[in-house]
Amino acid sequence: MITEQGRVLELLLSGQFVCATTDEDAFRYLQSSVNRELVDQQLNVLNRHLSSAADGEVYFCSYQSIGETERKVLATQFNDISSHLLPLIEWLLLVQETMGTDVPLTQGTLIRLQEVQTVVEDTPAYAEQLGKISRYAMFGSKANELDSQLKLIFKRLVELGYLVRPNMDKQIYCATGKIDYLFDVLKFIDETENLSLSERAEDSINQSSLL
Amino acid sequence: MNINLNKSGVSLLNALSNHSELIMQAYFSGSVNEAEYSPNIIQSLIDLKVLWRPESDVQLRLRPSLRTLLEESLQDESNRQIDANIGNLLATLTTQAEHYKEALAHQKYNESQAHLSDLTEHVYTLTETLSTNVRLLWSRISNEFGYVSSVDAKIRENELAQTQVTDMLNQLSMFHFDTLSQLAGSHRELRHLLVITLQSAFATSTQELSLVQSKLLELLGRFREFKGRTRLLKGFMLHMEQKPDFTPVNYSTLSQVPNLFNRADGIIKAAAPDIHNVEHEFELTSLVNNLRSVNRLWQGKLNREVANPLILEQETSVSLEEDLLKNAVENYFCEVIDSGQNTRALDYYNKHDLTFDQEVWIYQVLGAFQGLPDSERQYFDIDLEGVPHQVFDGNFIIQDIELGLR
Repeated sequence: MITEQGRVLELLLSGQFVCATTDEDAFRYLQSSVNRELVDQQLNVLNRHLSSAADGEVYFCSYQSIGETERKVLATQFNDISSHLLPLIEWLLLVQETMGTDVPLTQGTLIRLQEVQTVVEDTPAYAEQLGKISRYAMFGSKANELDSQLKLIFKRLVELGYLVRPNMDKQIYCATGKIDYLFDVLKFIDETENLSLSERAEDSINQSSLL
Repeated sequence: MNINLNKSGVSLLNALSNHSELIMQAYFSGSVNEAEYSPNIIQSLIDLKVLWRPESDVQLRLRPSLRTLLEESLQDESNRQIDANIGNLLATLTTQAEHYKEALAHQKYNESQAHLSDLTEHVYTLTETLSTNVRLLWSRISNEFGYVSSVDAKIRENELAQTQVTDMLNQLSMFHFDTLSQLAGSHRELRHLLVITLQSAFATSTQELSLVQSKLLELLGRFREFKGRTRLLKGFMLHMEQKPDFTPVNYSTLSQVPNLFNRADGIIKAAAPDIHNVEHEFELTSLVNNLRSVNRLWQGKLNREVANPLILEQETSVSLEEDLLKNAVENYFCEVIDSGQNTRALDYYNKHDLTFDQEVWIYQVLGAFQGLPDSERQYFDIDLEGVPHQVFDGNFIIQDIELGLR
C-alpha cells in the first residue's frame, strides 16, 4: 500500500498539477504546512521543489537549480504553453459567452457539453469561432461537423489537464486549477511585456459604446 | 373589539383568497391586465385598497404594503428593499413608554394595559425588522446575486447592499441604551421590553451585519477578479488581432527563471514487474494468461497473411515409379497363376533382375496380397519366411515370401 505522501509525490513527479478538482485528497494533504515541508524535502533530493500558483489553489513541482538540461526542458515547455495560449484563450471566451453567466472559468466550474453545444449550434458566429479554434495545431481537428469538433476540443483539454471528466458516462466537464495557472501566465506576460491588456479591453468597450 | 373593523377585515381577507390568482399575477407581472377580469371585481379590489392606480393612464398595481407582505412571507429573493427607519420606530417607542408611565401614575390601569400592548407590538416589530433585514442580505449573498446575470450588475447590486448595510449600522447607532434604561426606570415590563429584548436584538444584528459587510467586500473582490480576468482575455484577443506575430520572450532563457514557468518534467515512469516477488505471482500469472490468448490471435493473423497461393503440380515421376512396382507385382502374381507352382518373391526378383529395393519389393508383394478382394485372395496361399527378433520377442522379421495357388 502506498502512503498518502507517496501518492502525492508520485502525482507531483509525474508533472501533474494538484488542485482541489483533480485530486481533493492530495490537495488537502498539501494544504498543511507540515506535509508541504515533508514533500519538499523529498523533492529536494531530485533537484525539485514544491511550487504553487493562483494564490495556493494549485501545486506543482519545479526545478531547484536550473542547469543546461533543465533549461532545455523549460524552453520546450514554454514554447508549448505560448503556442497554446491563443487557442485556449479563444476557447475560454467562447465557453464563457455560451454559458451566459459572464463569469470566466475557474477551478471547479462545471461545463455541460450539451448546453454549450446547443448555444453554439443556434449561433452561427459561435459555430464559426468554434471551427476556427478546432483547426489550431493544438487541437488539429479536420472535422467539419460541429459535434465532433467540440468533442475533440474537450477531449484534448482533458488530455492536457485543463479539464477533468468526473463521470465517464456523462458529458459534464470540470475546470481544473490549471486554468487558473493559465490566467497567472497571462497576467505575467501582460505585466512583463507591458501589454496593458486590461486597458486595451476597457478602451474597446468604451469605443463600442460611443459608436 | 370594534365590530365594524372586524367585519371589514374578514371581508378583505375573503376578497384576497377569492381573487388570489389575480393578485399573484399582479405580484409577478407587476400590473393587472384589466381586460381579463370583470370590472366589478377590479372595482371591489380597488375599494378594498388591494390594487391602486399610481397615475391615471397606467395599469393597476398591487399596493406596496401587500407586496411587502407577500415578499416577506414567500421569502422571495427579488425583494431588495430594506426598511431601515429605526429612528422613527425608536421615537414611537419613547412616546408610548411615556404614555404608559403617565397612565400608571394616574392609576388608569386599563389604559396603561392598552399602551403596554401597543408598545410590545412596536418593540417586536422593531426586532422583526432587524432580523428580516439581515436575513435578506444573507440570502442575497448566499446565491451571489443570482437574480442578475452580468458581473457588472452583480457589482452594482453588491454596492447597493453595502450602502444598505452602512445605513443600517448608522441607524443602529441611534440605540442609546442609557436613555432607554432611564426611560424604563423601575418598571419591570418596560425594562424587559426596552432594555432586554431590544439589546439582544441589537447585539445579534450588529454582529451579523459586520459579518455581512466583510462577506460583501469579499464577494466584491471576487466579482472584480472575474471582470479583471475577462478583460485580460479580451485584451489578449485584441492584442493578437493587432499583432498576429506576437510571441512572448522565452522566459526560460532568463538567468532567473520566473517560478511560474519553472515546471519540472515528469520523471516517474511505470515500474517493471518483479518476477521473483511471490506476492505478485497471482497477478503476473493472470497477466501472462491474458497475453497468451492475444498472441494466438496475432499468430493466426500472421499465418493467414503469409499463406502462399496453391500451385497445382503434376507428380508424374512418383506415380510412374509406383506403377512400375505395381506392374512388377502383378506380373509376379500372373506368373504364379500361369505356372501353378509355388514361387518365392526373392527368386522372382533375382530371375527378372528387378531394380527396386528388396524390402520395398517384399512389402509391396505383401501389400498387394492384402489388397486383393476376399474372393480373389482365397485362390492364393502365402507363406512368410523369417526369424523372430533376437531381443524384442513378438516381433517377426520377414525375409522372404512364398506365394502359391491353393
